[in-house]
Amino acid sequence: MTVAGQTKGRRWRFSVRPTPRAARALKSLQLPAFWLLGLILLAGMARLLEILRADLARFPVATTAAIVLFALYAVPFWLFIASMDFLEREPPLLMATAFAWGGAVATTAAIPGTQALHDLVAKLISPAFAATWGSAIAGPTVEELLKALGVVMIVLVARKQINSVLDGMVYGALIGLGYQVVENIVFAVNAVALRGQGDGVGPVVATFFLRGFLAGLWSHTLFTALAGAGIAWFVVRTDKPLWWRLGGLGLGLGLAWLTHFVWNSPLFADGLGSGAAGVLLGMLGKGLPALAMVLALLWVARHREAHYYVAQLARLRDPRIATPGELQIMGHGHLRADARRYGRARCGRAGERAVRGLQTAQARLAVELSRVERIFPGDELLVHCRDEVLAQRQRLVDLGHPEAIVSPMRPAVPRVVVLGILFAIGLFLLIWQAIRTMNAA
Amino acid sequence: MVAHRLVRNLAGAVAVLAALLIVVFGLPALNRAVPTDRSLAGRHYDVGAGVSVAPPPGARVDASKTRPGADRATVMFLVGDVRYLIVVQPFAGRIGDAAEKLRTKIKATQGYQVTGDEGRVSTAGGLSGVAGGYTAPGRSGRYAVFLAGPHSIEVTVSGAQLELQRELAGIDDSISSITYGGGE
Repeated sequence: MTVAGQTKGRRWRFSVRPTPRAARALKSLQLPAFWLLGLILLAGMARLLEILRADLARFPVATTAAIVLFALYAVPFWLFIASMDFLEREPPLLMATAFAWGGAVATTAAIPGTQALHDLVAKLISPAFAATWGSAIAGPTVEELLKALGVVMIVLVARKQINSVLDGMVYGALIGLGYQVVENIVFAVNAVALRGQGDGVGPVVATFFLRGFLAGLWSHTLFTALAGAGIAWFVVRTDKPLWWRLGGLGLGLGLAWLTHFVWNSPLFADGLGSGAAGVLLGMLGKGLPALAMVLALLWVARHREAHYYVAQLARLRDPRIATPGELQIMGHGHLRADARRYGRARCGRAGERAVRGLQTAQARLAVELSRVERIFPGDELLVHCRDEVLAQRQRLVDLGHPEAIVSPMRPAVPRVVVLGILFAIGLFLLIWQAIRTMNAA
Repeated sequence: MVAHRLVRNLAGAVAVLAALLIVVFGLPALNRAVPTDRSLAGRHYDVGAGVSVAPPPGARVDASKTRPGADRATVMFLVGDVRYLIVVQPFAGRIGDAAEKLRTKIKATQGYQVTGDEGRVSTAGGLSGVAGGYTAPGRSGRYAVFLAGPHSIEVTVSGAQLELQRELAGIDDSISSITYGGGE
């Protein structure tokens, strides 16, 4: 077998810092940060339950509806975030911890902090200034700090799990998602109270639409993904000079603050021009640059990480493990999906399952290869991973579809591009119609 | 080496906790330490959303509870220890609905009870509304609500019984001075 450490010297060698073999989840129990994190999470959850219990006592139907709606809303976000890192999946417990920090700690701590900072702006400058710019200043300053502290806590508890910038984006996005979900629930119940017409679900549905769809794509999930990327850059890129790492950290945190500031700011609050199109333009003008920036960063981070792991398999030069065609598609989510579709087209569901099995086994072997400096013939874990790949390969051979590649008849325009464009058009039409309806009302 | 790593980990965790505590307790403490009031020096006060009012003598604005705005606005005046709050917000119903909404809001605070009957009230500028009273532990209160264009104007006044009685005449004059849209 080949020496995995020989990947050093290649272009992507510093993009990933693999988790060492010796790293064990239970070792976190020895860390003071682990126990402090537990205490902080408990305190946050107790406070959150207190808030929700008071809401449930006042508006049981509306609060329950808000919790159910926004919990369901979080599911596709969670699945998307989890799938961002196909090759080196994050531990579910750590992902849940990140979500809990955002939902229980950051939200409950932000309530007094944001209010106090908003008040200070009103006192030190003027109430009129605070009414206009208070949310833009206090919101990002307090909330982004609290959410970024969550990423720092994850680093302190499981530093070895932050292997790449992509990992930081995953944990940051999950903290932001937790924050977004709980904040939306609180806003929905506040809308019910403000309306003053009893325990109705009307304001909850309106809030769900307004904050979930109109503002949901460019909200906390996105802001904190930027902060997470900055923190992960600082942690992972130890090959860079300190000032360069600090620059990346500052850039990530600064961009998180800036995108949040722009979204909360009164700029284009009434839209660009008149009518629904003007409002839509104003909203897109504030939200789209941030979304585009995060998607671009995500693309770069994913491909850097993917190239690193693909290089691990490529060094083996063994077509039974991964053929050149499979190596070519391994780093691209949409190509992997195309390969599964091709497997299904040729061999039915069994073919799709077998291709998925091979891809998963290859990813696991690549991750395990990255964790050792040298490969020894008696390395049981590596042998097990290699045997799993070979077993999955045999399944494909038995089905008469020996290679998990994309169809040669694949359309020139990738399916993911077509679906993305259709999704964007559908979403814009939905938002535009919603704004027109609200204007008419 | 291991001990050094643990100390570094502890220091990092304590730093995170300290930052958290600064946000949760430090910022509110700083906020409380900064004086809240701004002297009005007898000028006519623009509440926001088209509403203005002549503040009572000696009133100061609690900047932390004041939110001017084009569509909805809030101002909190402090007259000694008496709190005089005006809230302007969009409202599409009738005066009875507006009064019911305000009563519900008052009663939502534990220990607050609306007392007695409501009576008609009007401002010098011609706005008409209803007014009533409420009690709270150790405090008494008055409330009034007006409809003005697409807005409701909610007024609540609360303070210790004796102090409220002393300031009430000036506050009543102030309520009477509320105008909407330039004296509509």
